Amino acid sequence: MTGKRDEILMFSTTQRFVHWLHTAAFAVLMVTGLLLYLPWFSRSIATGVGGQATRLMHRIGAIAFMLVPICYLLFDPRGLFAAMKRVFTWGKEDLGWLRAAPAYYFQGDEEAMPPQDKYNTGQKLFYLVVVICMVGFIVTGLIMWVGRGAVARWVFQWSVFLHDLCTIGYAAFFLVHFVLSVMHPLMKGALNGMLFGWMPREYVKHHHAKYYEELQSEQ
Amino acid sequence: MTKAMLIDVSKCIACRACQVACKAWNDLPAEITVCAGCYDNPTDLSPDTWNRIAFWELERQGGGVDWVFRPVRCMHCTDAPCVRVCPTGALFKDSLGFTAYDESKCNGCGYCVEFCPFDIPRLKEANLWGKGTTTKCTFCQTRVRDGLIPACAKACPTGAITFGDRKDLIAEGTARAEKLKGDGFVDAALYGHDLLGGLGMMYVLTDKPSVFELPEHPTGGLAEVWQPWIQGLGSFAVGATALGLLINWLVARQNIKVEEE
Repeated sequence: MTGKRDEILMFSTTQRFVHWLHTAAFAVLMVTGLLLYLPWFSRSIATGVGGQATRLMHRIGAIAFMLVPICYLLFDPRGLFAAMKRVFTWGKEDLGWLRAAPAYYFQGDEEAMPPQDKYNTGQKLFYLVVVICMVGFIVTGLIMWVGRGAVARWVFQWSVFLHDLCTIGYAAFFLVHFVLSVMHPLMKGALNGMLFGWMPREYVKHHHAKYYEELQSEQ
Repeated sequence: MTKAMLIDVSKCIACRACQVACKAWNDLPAEITVCAGCYDNPTDLSPDTWNRIAFWELERQGGGVDWVFRPVRCMHCTDAPCVRVCPTGALFKDSLGFTAYDESKCNGCGYCVEFCPFDIPRLKEANLWGKGTTTKCTFCQTRVRDGLIPACAKACPTGAITFGDRKDLIAEGTARAEKLKGDGFVDAALYGHDLLGGLGMMYVLTDKPSVFELPEHPTGGLAEVWQPWIQGLGSFAVGATALGLLINWLVARQNIKVEEE
């Protein structure tokens, strides 16, 4: 599939909508969550009535967050399953990526980098963490929200603990995702792909060579 | 000087004067209760009931029944799990050793309810919106700070509840437990002086703690590991990631410059 200006369509409208809904929900949840979690904020801003308002906003964000997988499944089930299939398929290019990544990211040495699929290994890893943590967030979050008092004490206690662990996973990978897609001087194409769906042919050829081959052979 | 209360269950007659005095002093409204087929009334603590008497009927080995009672309220642990998990500082240890709280700071998260090994704090909350605050026994700080003894101790007609310096009460409780042992209560013991850093509410029990539904080894559960461990891990993970990204960004910039030249 090629566009007017020699571009390739990477993400459907639903995929882009779901991505930005996820971004908005994440922003609200991360900010309110940190206000409640970090002692410096929880003892100043998120205390008393301010804390109750923060918790309310966290719940509103949680509803938007839960709509992310629901919308994806309802509006673009094929896209969802195709993406999941790519993310859960790991091969020798992924091992190669993991071996070549330190030299690539910390020394700028691209030599050993094997051709990558629609999602490169790092993106797959991020996607995996997101899927696992999203399930973790929703299950433990619902336990804390509506299950309190109904579930055993240890279940609630583990929910708090696991919710925090998921936050660490999300926060660390979000930093990487944000820097590489928005701030990074070499990866200009990715943000465009997620905003408008299209990526320059040259960018895809260079960064996702395996996927490019796949597209070529389909034509 | 750390203060405490000693509750001698062998002297308790379950008159519930402490229950009423607690309501009266703390201005807690009466609640409509139901008969649950036992003497417990109410059958549980609530945001408006910070102290209640629990009853147990025990079959004696040789036949006959023992009827035992215990006032149930906050144990004022020295190393209190609720204080550890409270994110806002609403719950805190005060200088006299009480587990105190400032309701205006409470954000209603309810962690104190779920991490208390004695199942004491209660939350006034609308679950959907999460608006609410927690409540529990305050050790009558408004009285103690003015040189009075707590309302429950004041009202107790048999002297089962005594208030005083912690170390005096430990000596008193140990002696009383020894006396009860001599009187045939073989499992009599002082409960709480060595638990969770020392409880501010200690009992002289006439039987094993389990008979009175008290945990033998109360702990904060996950609260013991949760906060220090995960806060450390979080800072490390996010810090290391940020550092890695900074290095990567600088390298990328450098390479672009090299290419441009």
